[in-house]
Amino acid sequence: MTVQPQTTELLPGFEHAAFDSNAVFRVLLDAMSRPGRIYELPLEMASPDGLNATITATLLAMADMDTTIWLSPSCAGKAATDHLKFHCGCPISTDVKQADFAVARIDDDLSFITDLSVGNAEYPDQSATLIIMVDDIANAPSMTLKGPGIKDTHHLEIKNLPESFHAWRAENHHMFPCGVDVIFASPTKIAALSRTTKVEVN
Amino acid sequence: MYVAVKGGERAINNAHKLLAEQRRGNKDVTEIETDQIEQQLSLSVTRVMAEGSLYDRDLAALAIKQARGDLIEAIFLMRAYRTTLPRFAFSKPIKTAEMDVSRRISATFKDLPGGQILGPTFDYTHRLLDFTLMANGQEPADAPSGDFPIDENMPRVLDDILNYEGLIQDEPTPVDENAPVADLTREPVKFPAGRDLRLQNLSRGDEGFVLALGYSTQRGYANSHAFVGEIRYGTVSVEIEPEELGFAIDIGDIELTECETVNKFKGSKTKLPQFTRGYGLVFGQNERKSISMALVDRAMRANEMGEQIMGPAQDSEFVMEHSDNVQSTGFVEHIKLPHYVDFQGELELVRRMRAEVEERLAKLDGKAAKSQPEAAE
Amino acid sequence: MEHVANNPADGAQAYNFAYLDEQTKRMIRRALLKAVAIPGYQVPFAGREMPMPYGWGTGGVQVTAAVIGPNDTLKVIDQGADDTTNAVSIRQFFAKTANVATTEKTAEASIIQTRHRIPEKELREDQVLVYQVPIPEPLRFLEPRETETRKMHALEEYGLMHVKLYEDIARHGHIATTYAYPVMVDDRYVMDPSPTPKFDNPKMNDMAALQLFGAGREKRIYALPPYTKVKSLDFEDHPFDVQTWEDECGMCGARDSYLDEVILDDKGNRMFVCSDTDYCTERQESGHRGPQHHDQPLGSSQSGKAAE
Repeated sequence: MTVQPQTTELLPGFEHAAFDSNAVFRVLLDAMSRPGRIYELPLEMASPDGLNATITATLLAMADMDTTIWLSPSCAGKAATDHLKFHCGCPISTDVKQADFAVARIDDDLSFITDLSVGNAEYPDQSATLIIMVDDIANAPSMTLKGPGIKDTHHLEIKNLPESFHAWRAENHHMFPCGVDVIFASPTKIAALSRTTKVEVN
Repeated sequence: MYVAVKGGERAINNAHKLLAEQRRGNKDVTEIETDQIEQQLSLSVTRVMAEGSLYDRDLAALAIKQARGDLIEAIFLMRAYRTTLPRFAFSKPIKTAEMDVSRRISATFKDLPGGQILGPTFDYTHRLLDFTLMANGQEPADAPSGDFPIDENMPRVLDDILNYEGLIQDEPTPVDENAPVADLTREPVKFPAGRDLRLQNLSRGDEGFVLALGYSTQRGYANSHAFVGEIRYGTVSVEIEPEELGFAIDIGDIELTECETVNKFKGSKTKLPQFTRGYGLVFGQNERKSISMALVDRAMRANEMGEQIMGPAQDSEFVMEHSDNVQSTGFVEHIKLPHYVDFQGELELVRRMRAEVEERLAKLDGKAAKSQPEAAE
Repeated sequence: MEHVANNPADGAQAYNFAYLDEQTKRMIRRALLKAVAIPGYQVPFAGREMPMPYGWGTGGVQVTAAVIGPNDTLKVIDQGADDTTNAVSIRQFFAKTANVATTEKTAEASIIQTRHRIPEKELREDQVLVYQVPIPEPLRFLEPRETETRKMHALEEYGLMHVKLYEDIARHGHIATTYAYPVMVDDRYVMDPSPTPKFDNPKMNDMAALQLFGAGREKRIYALPPYTKVKSLDFEDHPFDVQTWEDECGMCGARDSYLDEVILDDKGNRMFVCSDTDYCTERQESGHRGPQHHDQPLGSSQSGKAAE
């Protein structure tokens, strides 16, 4: 699925900047408004080494010179950083505290997440968004979600989500209105956990 | 029988036609050209550029023509155009010390290095209507040049003269030329706002509003008595340094008026007293605006100076939230838009409350009537 | 410099899809994602100057411009009606700059931009309702300073609001707020529902559609995700209630919709009609009749035709 670049040659970004970024944003908006619902990436997207198509599309749609991106060491290869710098013009920081968007793989050491910015009581929006690259997102009852955006409850399954993630998420939820919002990105699918979402691990 | 009124679209289109007709006026009179506005109504042009936050004389002239001379409407047109322009570079800080000066005066010293240069000013015109202008007057005689050339590096009264003795607060003139400067057109304003944002807000703020606030500081609604240390008006060049070049290039000249005020001193038994400062800078020749701006800038430094807030000009949040005439005119005028849904809600409530009060009064009357039956007869 | 090619007067060609440049849209979109993640919290955003006056829907227009795509169908209402001049003007703006389909039918719209009303017809999950908001801060009339109101929201200090509402009851016997009636969102933030009549407040609760709010002059965006708890503030002894009318709609006979009062003469004669024009039209089309209905073939009321 993922297009593997052979050389440092740059891959294309969106075919039509206005339409494509809108389509990706609408999926993100739906996903964040309806935590746990699974949405398909609405377009084909070339992705550099280290990132998958969904994450690439998400960053191209949302990031620019005004947002700082942090990539986990396993994502932060030259191909990925060159691609983002070229298409988004975004600063890429190695200081996770500076991140507006932090990107990692699910099998990475996720201990950095406790350093992500959660905003403050007066400006809880000044927080990071965590994007986790996963293999698959499924509608299965490994997690039961409740909260705004969810009619009664939703189910969500992300394989290999470590226990430490759940512990952090629970704490994150209690910090409301501060907190970090999470986007799960498989090669073709997106689902989100808003900071408002109450997660029961089954 | 009732038929709902429709046809908003046609009404709007026709209103626009009428507006164009009114703008043109009597067709027997020659149509005004934008270069005439640009040249002959140049102070309107610079005000529209200043408050429109866009230095483009031709566009400002066009906006004034299109707005039928309504400057706030013209400013609005400039702003709405400006917002769509891509930001391709940030200029280097301009150097008003190197201004090509047309006028420069100081109220603090009778004579001073560089001299008092009166330049073009209304100040000493007797405000008598000049009827020759109405009769399409004669060409004005050429203004003679002075005997001495104007000093190319005109010393600055505050930085070069007063500060030589340490008599005035040392302004941290941007030490780092590349330090980021806030921009309220790109980021949401948060309070308390830094001085860079406050100055930007004032510079593009409504001239009348800033004037009135400046005036209020002179009448006791803030106490920071000011002397005009210096006003200079002239042109400065604007430079940008494209990353790929690595050196600065001149992209053109702009006309500016700069005012620096020397304000009430600060100090104590143990701290050397020093005068404080206010700063005003505006596109074009506009002394009214630049002096007012300097007064309000100084007033808004109350917190920094440890002064008690006693007037609206010292209240940055109040000043900044109400200085923008595009914002204020929009919101003030929006109350002419339909509000009949809300008004219906109020009508319903007021009618209901009136009925309740009437009922209550009637009950009271009834009781009164029972207790005094003779009065009813 | 060449201005002509990019002159607004030349039409829409010189502008990006939906007027705003992509960088501005991204900035608004980021604010929108935060807004849905913190329901009822006002996210500051660097509102741009739009080619229409502040106070006339610039916030709603910016939100719509950031959300709208080429396949959307847009409906714009002002006071519930599609044909009020400002609604017409905003609809034309998007028809011109985004070349999107527009509709007057609530059911056909994927995005509905509104000023002062929520449609009577229940909205669906695949719809987005965009509100134009003049003063987003529900506490503004109690405390004009942003620095203070921000603290009050941070500390969940809403006592002042309750005091104000209770003072109304003490003086008038009623809570004297009929529109922009404050709501509590998900038991955390007090939010201004925009100047919709309180009649519409219950519709906000648990709504299937996403609700987005844009305040252009005040530079704030906020949101209600679908199925969010929205409760109008009230007191045990004075529960929240909505407006009711003794009359029915003169055209369609509806008794469950918000009614506008139409003045018929200067002798106190008046009638009531639905404020939601699409709702009223749909009811008339399915045969409902109110007492003042002219009973002519439907669709015959031409533009600009005067009342008979």
